[in-house]
Amino acid sequence: MSSPTAWTLEEGSAQIASIVGEEHVRVRGESVVCAPADTAQIAQILQFANASGLAVTPSGSGTKLGWGNPVAADIQLSMTRMNTLREHAWQDMTCTVEAGSAWAAMQAELARRGQMVALDPLWAERATVGGIVAVNDSGVLRLRYGGLRDLIIGMTLVLADGTIAKTGGKVVKNVAGYDLHKLMTGSFGTLGVIAEVHFRLHPLEQRARTWTAVAAHPSFFDAPLRALMDSQMTPSSVQLRVSRQQSALDVRIAGLPHCLDESGVRLKRILEPLELSESSDSVWEARRELFDQEGAIVLKVSLIPSEVCPVLSELPQWTDDRMDCQAVAQANGLLTVALRSTP
Amino acid sequence: VLTSFQLDELRTAVGADCLITAQNQLQTYECDGLTNFRVMPAAVVLPRTTEAVQEVVRVCARHKISFVSRGAGTGLSGGALPAEGCVVISLARMDRILEVDFANRLVVVEPGVINAHVTQRVTPRGYFYAPDPSSQSVCTIGGNVAENSGGAHCLKYGFTVTHVLALEVVLPSGELVQFGSRALDTPGYDLAGVFVGSEGTLGVTTKITLRIVKRPEVVQTLVAAFATPHAAGQTVSDIIAAGMLPSALEIMDALAIQAAEAAVHAHYPVCGGLLLVELDGSASEVEALMGHVRELCGKNGASEVRVAQSEQERALVWKGRKAAFASMGRISPNYIVQDGVIPRTALPRVLTEIESMATGAGLRVANVFHAGDGNLHPLVLYDRIIPGQEEAALDLSYGILRLCVDSGGSITGEHGVGKEKQEALGYMFSEPDLATMQLVRCAFDPENISNPDKVFPRPRLCGDKPGPYVPHPLETAGIAEIF
Repeated sequence: MSSPTAWTLEEGSAQIASIVGEEHVRVRGESVVCAPADTAQIAQILQFANASGLAVTPSGSGTKLGWGNPVAADIQLSMTRMNTLREHAWQDMTCTVEAGSAWAAMQAELARRGQMVALDPLWAERATVGGIVAVNDSGVLRLRYGGLRDLIIGMTLVLADGTIAKTGGKVVKNVAGYDLHKLMTGSFGTLGVIAEVHFRLHPLEQRARTWTAVAAHPSFFDAPLRALMDSQMTPSSVQLRVSRQQSALDVRIAGLPHCLDESGVRLKRILEPLELSESSDSVWEARRELFDQEGAIVLKVSLIPSEVCPVLSELPQWTDDRMDCQAVAQANGLLTVALRSTP
Repeated sequence: VLTSFQLDELRTAVGADCLITAQNQLQTYECDGLTNFRVMPAAVVLPRTTEAVQEVVRVCARHKISFVSRGAGTGLSGGALPAEGCVVISLARMDRILEVDFANRLVVVEPGVINAHVTQRVTPRGYFYAPDPSSQSVCTIGGNVAENSGGAHCLKYGFTVTHVLALEVVLPSGELVQFGSRALDTPGYDLAGVFVGSEGTLGVTTKITLRIVKRPEVVQTLVAAFATPHAAGQTVSDIIAAGMLPSALEIMDALAIQAAEAAVHAHYPVCGGLLLVELDGSASEVEALMGHVRELCGKNGASEVRVAQSEQERALVWKGRKAAFASMGRISPNYIVQDGVIPRTALPRVLTEIESMATGAGLRVANVFHAGDGNLHPLVLYDRIIPGQEEAALDLSYGILRLCVDSGGSITGEHGVGKEKQEALGYMFSEPDLATMQLVRCAFDPENISNPDKVFPRPRLCGDKPGPYVPHPLETAGIAEIF
């Protein structure tokens, strides 16, 4: 390998400006921030960086930059100009979207045909497709629809040397070649830059209702939760919210409007002796609220499902005069814990 | 081809009763379900434990002997076809279900466990294992993992990869590693995700943790008769457009119906296009949706619509569908099973095109497909005795695959690339795509001994650069030659 060329910040930024245009490059501190317009420009920037021995961090809107180890990047690749829903083949229930697209904006377009990517990640208004895929985020819909590995059917990616590679395709069922998109999902940008993603889509849930049970301690939910997960009901979402004062179990069921009453009755029977009441959709914001708490340290913990209640039952003991501890757990075992010193 | 010293090492690894070297016994292993490709292996081992698999792979790694792992050998793309002079590692004797954990809805199995046995084991508690390839009564979980098998119900329930939580894998170096875990989102790369569907090229799986699913309250299967597969296909599009997600949507054309009737007497209506719709869920939901499906069938001119009235009747409907490939023998001396995928909306155009291609070639094509996800199984019928007909049939079957790719689809939905479709993979993916996949291959198997010369379009050595011919470093150094 030839030794990297040494560039001053100004020279480097001029090189990149020749690829993306001057108006899309600026110098911030010790690094160059640039916004490519398309996959070919990403490839050119990475080729340049690779040949020059410069470190690159791809980013979307930066909502989760603190999730990985901090990186001193020479070049910050901002994906925000690549924000188009390239294709929505609604009759085939697939779509192709550029990685810099905001999640909510994509969903709004898909909703015009009554469809969605069945995933509700954090900060959907701002978070981008590429960033969400890079950290493998998911939300409360995961119980019913699976995670990103089940929803992504293909990808265009750019390797560090500028190679543009396609993986998977635009059809849901496809076993040709290795599923490189599985490797990219959750790889935190360490394997390459995600340029475009192909998703499989689901119909929007026509009607959904949420029921909540409240208890003094999470251990009260152990047996009812096991009964629910062992039943034939197929809730979209099941979560536990636990704080020192109170614990709650939320269950969301989607279906045909006239069948939901019956579902409510069955749910009450399964969860006995818990008292259920209907609640608003806002309870599903609980995980985001933990992340948004000022000064909180937030942990993602993954448990086997049967351990969710036992672990959460210990949690109120962690809270004392100095530290406040709150948690939201999905029935699939994904747990978010927020720790904060008591004001 | 193996030296007596190497055979001794293999014998020590697995025990004398688990090593096959006699020609007549080796013959069993010379092919898989793709029977027109045959290669005799140098030896077959039948290990009983992970340690034995590891020891065999270590012997292979030490002497750079190729190995090919094999389950029940039901694969249809030649994935378990032996390589020249290779050791076949049959996992048939590793057939124990090690653990069933209902609280976490998972089972842990060895690779030789038969697919249907997983469901049988968890049925008493009302669970099932969702992926159901048509060969499920004989095919093994290890093979399913290698091929990322689908089946009729993956439309709703997903493929093998959706149901694999964790894998224990013997790498081509002999090292034992764990991918994934019982909990979701293990930190690090999703190596289980990339291993599933890698067709035996990244190592040998020796233990698999699978999800199991609660059996729905009600399952209903409807059979509708249409004049043409197109009308059946339109009904499928209408069902999807109505926002329904049935657990299965299958279409068979007249030839396929005729063959299935001859083989298993499924009492299918005689028609040009048969649609099979399965819905599951709560009783009230299924009833309401089935009413809607009936309406849509009527709208598209169905001459007969009936819902299976008993579990036996439902089983018979499925028996006919699942026997579709094997029953082709009733109407044709020879046939090629193909497996292509198209976007569902391209179905009418692609069917018409296949028909005209078949007419042009003077051959008949029977069509069976998982219509919900656009997965076609054209069966090209021919007679080997007629000179030139086998070649014509092969040409036609590859032509259909190219048509699938040109229509925005894939060369395989569930059978894998294997030996059969190596060149077709090069039609679907460009050089940089393949070179990137090759990086993964070389990271796992730098010596290229794990199921070599499969999947990728031409023999490659790790370090090969795409594009114009560049001598491989090993070649330059005089260690290897490329022919």
